[in-house]
Amino acid sequence: MDTLTNFINGTIALFGDPLGILIFLGGVIGGMLFGAIPGVSMLTLAAILLPFTAHLSPEHGIMLFSVIYCTGVYGGAITAILFNIPGAPENAPTAFDGYPMTQKGQAGKAVGAAVTCSAIGGTVSAVIMMIATAPIAGWAISAFGPPEIFALVFFGLAVASSVGAKTFWKGWLSILLGLLIAVVGLDPVGGIERWDFGMPYLLAGIHFIPTILGFFAVSEVFVQVEKKARGSYSAPKVSVDFPSLAELFAQKIAVIRSIVIGFFCGILPGIGATLAAFMGYNEAVRWSKDSKEFGTGKMEGVVSSETANNAATGAAMIPLLALGLPGGALTAMMVAVFQMHDMEPGPLVFLNSADLVWVVFSAMFFANLSILLIGFLETKTIINLLRIPFQFLAPLILLLATIGAYAVRGLPIDIVVMFIAGIVGFFLRRSGYSVAGIVLGLILGKIGEQTFAQAMQMLHFEWSGFFSRPIAITLIIAGMLTLLNSIYSSFFKKST
Amino acid sequence: MKNLRIAHIAEAAIWLSLALLLFVNSFDFNQEIEIYKYGASAWPRALLLLIVVAAIGQLFGQWLRGESQGSEMLGKASDDGAELAAELSDHNNPKWLLWTFLIMTIPFFYMNVPGIVGDLLSLEKAGLNHVKLLTATVLLGIFLLAIRGNHIGGMLTLPLLFGAFLQDFGFYFTAPFFILGTMYLMGERRWKNMVMIGALIMGIMLALFVSLLYVGLPTGIISPFYEFGTSIVNLLQ
Repeated sequence: MDTLTNFINGTIALFGDPLGILIFLGGVIGGMLFGAIPGVSMLTLAAILLPFTAHLSPEHGIMLFSVIYCTGVYGGAITAILFNIPGAPENAPTAFDGYPMTQKGQAGKAVGAAVTCSAIGGTVSAVIMMIATAPIAGWAISAFGPPEIFALVFFGLAVASSVGAKTFWKGWLSILLGLLIAVVGLDPVGGIERWDFGMPYLLAGIHFIPTILGFFAVSEVFVQVEKKARGSYSAPKVSVDFPSLAELFAQKIAVIRSIVIGFFCGILPGIGATLAAFMGYNEAVRWSKDSKEFGTGKMEGVVSSETANNAATGAAMIPLLALGLPGGALTAMMVAVFQMHDMEPGPLVFLNSADLVWVVFSAMFFANLSILLIGFLETKTIINLLRIPFQFLAPLILLLATIGAYAVRGLPIDIVVMFIAGIVGFFLRRSGYSVAGIVLGLILGKIGEQTFAQAMQMLHFEWSGFFSRPIAITLIIAGMLTLLNSIYSSFFKKST
Repeated sequence: MKNLRIAHIAEAAIWLSLALLLFVNSFDFNQEIEIYKYGASAWPRALLLLIVVAAIGQLFGQWLRGESQGSEMLGKASDDGAELAAELSDHNNPKWLLWTFLIMTIPFFYMNVPGIVGDLLSLEKAGLNHVKLLTATVLLGIFLLAIRGNHIGGMLTLPLLFGAFLQDFGFYFTAPFFILGTMYLMGERRWKNMVMIGALIMGIMLALFVSLLYVGLPTGIISPFYEFGTSIVNLLQ
């Protein structure tokens, strides 16, 4: 009952505040557009907005990001289905069957299925998130001290490195690079300067906002420049049909299976929604009796991928809000929003700012529902937006990023740092490294080192002390096993 | 050599040199902390050790299995097309990389040369500004010559150059050139469209950030760019 009351209160707080409504709508539409337009993604939008969230309340900032998350993972479905160009990686598997459906003249039905299933997957995931997060946070408040938090960060990074990049080694190196960047500046225990190379700028550490902007907004533009091949699209006429109830009911197993898979992928650190979509699709093929029909325009393919990616969104919020552990690029940026307001995400947020949590939860619930409504209204707009050539979008993105990087502290050097991060990100991405992994390492580096130092002081520098703390040792062993398994697989296991 | 390619060895060499450089540098802060016996350098050095292990592990994996390590699904899910684009445009060859890296050093010359010249000649502010203007002109010329036939190198460097010029010449003067330059380097050649859309982008930026949100963007230091920047700000606010 508590959950329901809190949800109602959160909803009233969300929609009773005109600025809140404006931000919510902006997030819903912005997420969808940036998800849909090839060459930019919801991460580009989130990175550009990140510096400006300093002027919003933490409640509005986190709410904006969570809404962008929900609609952003859906946005690319439309272009994946109509043009075989997934707007974002989360929608890549949607194109496998969505585009053949368009070729067969069933575009409307495919878009309709994507809209409906995204909304179902996301809403169910949001409901589970609302029910599960508070008890986990409540348990974590009493059970988690520095050793446990360190163990959790270790476990999170171990899993993220294993499922976050093309190969385990690239994932792990990406995260280690992020952790190294976090070392620059003053050490968290004694305040000793590290790796400042005599530059006063580096004394305060490399700021995460220019870095995030560089890795996500700037490097994306550079990658698009290299891709270049961006012709004009001939837009097919499309009207959106809801699949009939009977058709939808026939997909019930696929929907349920994808919700479970999506939720599981979302909760694990790594590439969340994208992996969810691929796994959802793969499992659909594996379970199917007529698996050969996949790829030829089977609705189940669209359903499986779109349900799974939205189901990952609510799940990803559980470790973030209950334990303070971000699992991917977008949730890492949410940690940055918290940090800009001098808050640490984690179980204490529930105690200190319960209002924030419930506004965010309500917003995510309604954002997923709004996919139904706006998804239908927006489809035609998106087709027109595809006509905007990227060469006109690129300077806009770069200038917005420039202003964002500068606005944080008024330092021109932050702009240079951002563009350097963009160049580094560009070269790392084209070698198969993961910029999301770097940002995850960067955000978790400080927390990791600090809690490690606190834990060692608490345990009187006896490593065996971890063994007397069951949660910490379980997480450490689980992290170790994940790493060992990934190392073994990278050398000896056949590709699957 | 089995499946190993030169690129793999270069990749490992970059990681190992980074680790070595940072390790040598870590002696600068290898101090004890009274309440923390591991000191300030234990954590960073542990990370460096892990980087060395991972770089060697990756090299071993590449020797053993080439590029096919890891699961196919993870490969697909984490693929953003960047690798394929690099391959298709044949931008992985050492010549292109060297050329591009040389172009990218141009902005750093601007960040350092005027200061050094100013110190050598003990110049006052006005003299230093002249040196900056001259350096900027020369470097811009070199940049325009160097990017002929390497627009990607130009695109990677242009934002850095913009960032380097921003403080001295101001946002209001440099941004329009940056917008047009970006469009040109991305293949747009219809000047009318470029100017019209460039003006639109600039207009949106100024209206939103300067008039509405009062973000104080750099006006520039050097005359007459400074006067130009401040007059626009005065006009808008």
